Amino acid sequence: MAAWRGSRSGGDGLQSVEHISSSRTVRLGKVQPQAPGHRTVFCNDRDANALAKFKGNSVSTTKYDVFTFLPKGLFEQFRRVANLYFLMISILSCTPVSPVSPITNVLPLTLVLLVSLIKEAWEDWKRFQNDMAINNSTIEVLQDQKWVLTPWKKLQVGDIVKVKQDGFFPADLLFLASTNPDGICYIETANLDGETNLKIRKALEKTWDYVTPEKVCEFKGEVQCEQPNNSLYTFTGNLIINKQTLPLSPNQLLLRGCSLRNTDYIVGAVIFTGHETKVMMNSMKIPSKRSTLEKKLDKLILTLFCVLFCMCLLGAIGSGVFINRKYYYLRFDKSEKQFDPDNRFVVAILTFFTLITLYSPIIPISLYVSVEMIKFIQSTQFINNDLSMYHAESNTPALARTSNLNEELGQVEYIFSDKTGTLTRNLMEFFKCSIGGEVYGTGVSEIEMGTAQRTGAKIETQKQSNTAREKGFNFDDARLMRGAWRNEPNPEACKEFFKCLAICHTVLPEGDESPEKIRYQAASPDESALVTAAKNFGFFFYKRSPTTIYVRESHVEKMGKVQDVPYEILNVLEFNSTRKRQSVVCRYPDGRLVLYCKGADTVIYERLVDGDNELKRITREHLEQFGASGLRTLCLAYRNLSSDVYESWNEKYIQAKSSLRDREKKLDEVAELIEKELILIGCTAIEDKLQEGVPACIETLSRAGIKIWVLTGDKMETAINIAYACKLINNSMKQFIISSETDAVREIEDRGDQVELARFMKELVKNELKRCNEEAQQYLLSVPRSKLALVIDGKCLMYALDPSLRVMLLNLSMNCSAVVCCRVSPLQKAQVTSLVRKGANRITLSIGDGANDVSMIQAAHVGVGISGQEGMQAVMASDFAIAQFRFLTDLLLVHGRWSYHRICKVVTYFFYKNLTFTLTQFWFTFQTGFSGQRLYDDWFQSLYNVIFTALPVIIIGLFDKDVSATLSKQYPELYKEGIRNAFFKWRVVATWAFFAIYQSLVLYYFVVASSNRAINSSGKMFGLWDVSTMAFTCVVVTVNLRLLMMCNTITRWHHISVGGSILAWFVFVFIYSGVILPKEQENIYLVIYVLMSTFYFYFALILVPVAALFCDFVYLGVQRWFFP
Amino acid sequence: MEMDGGSASAPAGIEADSVSVRQGRSKIIYQFTQQNLPACKPVLSPAWVISIFFVVGVIFIPVGIVSLHASQTVVEIVYRYDAECVPESFRSNKLAYIKDSSIPKNCTKSLKIPKDMKAPIYIYYQLDNYYQNHRRYVKSRNDQQLLHGLKYHDTGSCAPEDVNHGLPIVPCGLIAWSLFNDTYSFYRGIDELKVNRKNIAWESDREHKFGKQVYPFNFQNGSLIGGASLDPNIPLSDQEDLIVWMRTSALPTFRKLYGRIEEDLDADDIISIKLLNNYNTYSFSGSKKLVLSTSSWLGGHNNFLGLAYISVGASFILIAFVFMLLHVKNPRPYGDTTNLSWNWKSMSG
Repeated sequence: MAAWRGSRSGGDGLQSVEHISSSRTVRLGKVQPQAPGHRTVFCNDRDANALAKFKGNSVSTTKYDVFTFLPKGLFEQFRRVANLYFLMISILSCTPVSPVSPITNVLPLTLVLLVSLIKEAWEDWKRFQNDMAINNSTIEVLQDQKWVLTPWKKLQVGDIVKVKQDGFFPADLLFLASTNPDGICYIETANLDGETNLKIRKALEKTWDYVTPEKVCEFKGEVQCEQPNNSLYTFTGNLIINKQTLPLSPNQLLLRGCSLRNTDYIVGAVIFTGHETKVMMNSMKIPSKRSTLEKKLDKLILTLFCVLFCMCLLGAIGSGVFINRKYYYLRFDKSEKQFDPDNRFVVAILTFFTLITLYSPIIPISLYVSVEMIKFIQSTQFINNDLSMYHAESNTPALARTSNLNEELGQVEYIFSDKTGTLTRNLMEFFKCSIGGEVYGTGVSEIEMGTAQRTGAKIETQKQSNTAREKGFNFDDARLMRGAWRNEPNPEACKEFFKCLAICHTVLPEGDESPEKIRYQAASPDESALVTAAKNFGFFFYKRSPTTIYVRESHVEKMGKVQDVPYEILNVLEFNSTRKRQSVVCRYPDGRLVLYCKGADTVIYERLVDGDNELKRITREHLEQFGASGLRTLCLAYRNLSSDVYESWNEKYIQAKSSLRDREKKLDEVAELIEKELILIGCTAIEDKLQEGVPACIETLSRAGIKIWVLTGDKMETAINIAYACKLINNSMKQFIISSETDAVREIEDRGDQVELARFMKELVKNELKRCNEEAQQYLLSVPRSKLALVIDGKCLMYALDPSLRVMLLNLSMNCSAVVCCRVSPLQKAQVTSLVRKGANRITLSIGDGANDVSMIQAAHVGVGISGQEGMQAVMASDFAIAQFRFLTDLLLVHGRWSYHRICKVVTYFFYKNLTFTLTQFWFTFQTGFSGQRLYDDWFQSLYNVIFTALPVIIIGLFDKDVSATLSKQYPELYKEGIRNAFFKWRVVATWAFFAIYQSLVLYYFVVASSNRAINSSGKMFGLWDVSTMAFTCVVVTVNLRLLMMCNTITRWHHISVGGSILAWFVFVFIYSGVILPKEQENIYLVIYVLMSTFYFYFALILVPVAALFCDFVYLGVQRWFFP
Repeated sequence: MEMDGGSASAPAGIEADSVSVRQGRSKIIYQFTQQNLPACKPVLSPAWVISIFFVVGVIFIPVGIVSLHASQTVVEIVYRYDAECVPESFRSNKLAYIKDSSIPKNCTKSLKIPKDMKAPIYIYYQLDNYYQNHRRYVKSRNDQQLLHGLKYHDTGSCAPEDVNHGLPIVPCGLIAWSLFNDTYSFYRGIDELKVNRKNIAWESDREHKFGKQVYPFNFQNGSLIGGASLDPNIPLSDQEDLIVWMRTSALPTFRKLYGRIEEDLDADDIISIKLLNNYNTYSFSGSKKLVLSTSSWLGGHNNFLGLAYISVGASFILIAFVFMLLHVKNPRPYGDTTNLSWNWKSMSG
């Protein structure tokens, strides 16, 4: 099944996007379009379903099959411009216009295509094998009152299946019954979103009994549900049994790809099969990112096309002028259009095409294949296997999910980082709390320690708390522990506080029901930290059933008394990023109805009941205080409900819940109705510790000229303090703070006029930006230049991102070396990222770990996911995944930098070698009456790119290192070269072009000039092919030696490949000139033997490459000397 | 797929770490993946650069001198005769002269030998502005036919000189058709100098490219006569003039070997040359030259190689001196970072 999981992983990225975008559309108030009509499924009735013609359950993820492979695969290949160009050249070379035989162009093209096709075929074959394995795995299906093992592919819509523990769901199932009491089951959705915590699914009460085959046979239901779609977290439908209509929710849907846990087996009805399952509908290709270097490469190729065009035009005009009947021995006449002296225009045009075919090697055909291969090896072998990026604790290596962007890593200028889980560990520890206006908890957070160090004050390192420290709980205050809270001024509030912690959550307990052994499965570590805290306070949540939460309460009525209290959970209003809160309606055993709510302070404060402003003020102060210590805060509140209010609300709720359209939106609206008039209890503060090595990493990166922006959903104080703690901001920096938390804003907020608020905010932001820009200018002019930092919060950002203010924001932020954006939504994260990406045209990198970072990761040039804590959604959307933030140093400064250097070298070298080669041919054209006679033999030309010069350049793409890994980390300034794109500028290309021109002139004219007399004592003369072989030998030797010169490190592989290439040429020419090929002109026949019998050959062979490389030598020497 | 591959291979990498000492192969893989392959790092330090330049220069200059010397020992006489051999009356219309086959083409000129010339003295003819490397010309031959004769029919590439009067032409093609047909004979006083016309083509051509059983057929029978005709009784492999001519030249100015004088010539000898000025270079204003040349171990009179060696060697030494001066005046210790790119960039902007 592991392979199966792998094959799926490619597609999972989208699902998270989908999720985000759906929540985005909800916020914007748009209605999501849904497929019209419903699907009706008759459970356990194959005949009835046959009419509907649902698709089968077999899946195919292959791109090709046996018949379509060749046409489709070739089509894919020819979508690349370079390949198409060479196809056209090949076709041209089959016409009489061509000076070269078709082999010249067909052979390299064939080789390139062959390599690509083999790769495609191999990948597709693996996919096919995966598909087969999946399609043939078996599942128990109900047939004739028995469970029968059936392969997955035979499964049909409406079938009743039985899935055993740890088994995978073969299709999207409607959950009917499970062996667990209360019809619940636990599923793991690691294949869908990478989250390993268990999730509860609950069957409808009516179907609980259908566990045994005998019983299930009687089940005849009709499911009406939406058409297959790709939204993983929504499902609306109705189950009709015995004329009763029951609403279905995602809670009853078991998605294909998930697996069953902690449950013996479940019974379900198949609703969506095969490609119609939600997971398959999601498995679309992630739109692949292309690196900027590659885009620039396209421009280079385009330039080469222009050069080619000019060269051909020149040659064509020349041929039109040259052609003349006076060269009687050439017999120009009307028999051949191309040599018709009466129509010079046609001659020129035809010669133009001749020359295009002749000069076609100027476009390096093997460049793309080689670069792809190099990048692939770089990412799979180097990045994935780097031990310095291997996190031993979590057994997570770095992972390059795409090999396209390696060199992009070497050019990053802006890093956008999430805070939670990225800079911090995302190991939440309950640290402090404020109950009824009283602060509890004596710990000193890391951030506070950092602050203390900053201000110079010394705080004695606190002794480790004496209480048994537990993961998620780092709280020490005797006033609350072991029932001591009863003696506090406000014991009632304490009790509510603890109950809220123990009840209002979606955590699942796992393992033994004892405080020591229990493990909490939570969607977020905050939740489990809070529940753990409740446990430590004596409110031990130990068991959950779909309708009830069991809490073992100590010291409630009197000290030392322990009692188990079941709370009936009536409704759970779940957390999402729009609501930023979570509520539970529960009924006490004594019938009291309470709504417990916890959430972000802003949303809770909006919904508090009027009055008791003192408590609100104090708690707000505490919140700010906690925030300043870098703690994450949540507000807790409750509301007593009368049964009338509840009942009337519950009706609306059920209505909303069973609606088929816009269910989520309606549920949110209904939730608003009851989440009001809350009574504030207090707030919690959770510490999220910084990851190891983060400050050092950030310091290194900023020395490397990378600007780091922190985008976080936290409060401004928290964000600033985190920024201080990780050395992003220091005291010497001039800070600009643009905040919406001013009294003026609050005043207008209180008036509640949204329009006015918006207008005011816009003005405010505009003025602030203006002011900051002016100040920034002053600071930049002043000496010494102090660094600038900008802090802005989400609300202001919303207005600042307005098109009219965007430019100002950009200007300001470009001048700042650090930017902190707090209170930002995922959408804003993406907006900020693309602002810099598009507006400033710089290379951006986003790093994050959670689902809320997905949009930002996809918006940036390079997306990096932190693999580890908060699920895998970010990783699935990312291009690279690392386990810890600090590995970013290695990824960027070592791998990125190397890759960038290497790829630049490879590309420029390709450019150089083909230009040199083609130019020698070009110079020759001038001396052949512009006829387009080829200088080199067909085979020489066709193998030049694919054999004689192919391997060494790949070696350099893999092994070249200018400085060692340690040095490049030690001197991060080296990285700036990449940011400036110092190795692939037009100036660099021009330098190479200059050398190519120089070398080709030397190569051509030296050989020609030295060979126009008798070349040995027998007085015999060389012919055209002798000269051409001589020239080609010199070209091969020169080009290969030039490669050796550009290496920074030389391993023996360099020697082997360079030597091998030159040797390959000699071996080839020995064989080639020794055989007679039928139907060919034997131009080269025995030529090399003639050549090698002369002294001249060896003299020239030493002279020409050295003379050709003379300039390069001088250039390198000068460069090393003055600009190393 | 990628993910599994990644997670599976990383532990392998770790393992390789621990067992690398034992297993050479896994050690290489480990070094490869960790990018720690043993490598030497050529540091182009000033001392190195200077010494490399010196060494190259020191090697090249003697080689250059040797080859220049070899070239200088060669005595070469170049004599252009195309204009002089046209009778006065035809000077204004050389084309009419060369095209009129009724006019005798004899021409006798005399030459003074400037220096002693040791046998063998090679006789070349040199043509200018003659595009033997034109695409139409180069491809207008058929190597199979040259080797196998009439047995080989597919001679399309020879057009328009492939078929005449419905019969194939051997050897076909424009190259053969335009065979050079001036002839020379040399007299010292009244003695005719013996000219050896054998072994003027490369042996490989004679042996392997031109058939021993292939005889000229239907050659120069068309209405247009391009050049020399061939004796139909001599096989192609023995028609050395043709073989030499068929080895097309690389440049539009070229020399081809005509024969050898196997007697020494002394300085101030007067040689009279009787030549038949048959070949038409007048229509495209090309020149014809007769070249007499001795040879050295490095071939004919060509100073280029020697001069190139010397000048390249000299430039290397010159640059070495320049570098050395710079180095002495403005030394830069190894590891000095003041000139590193980020520094000078920030200084400039």
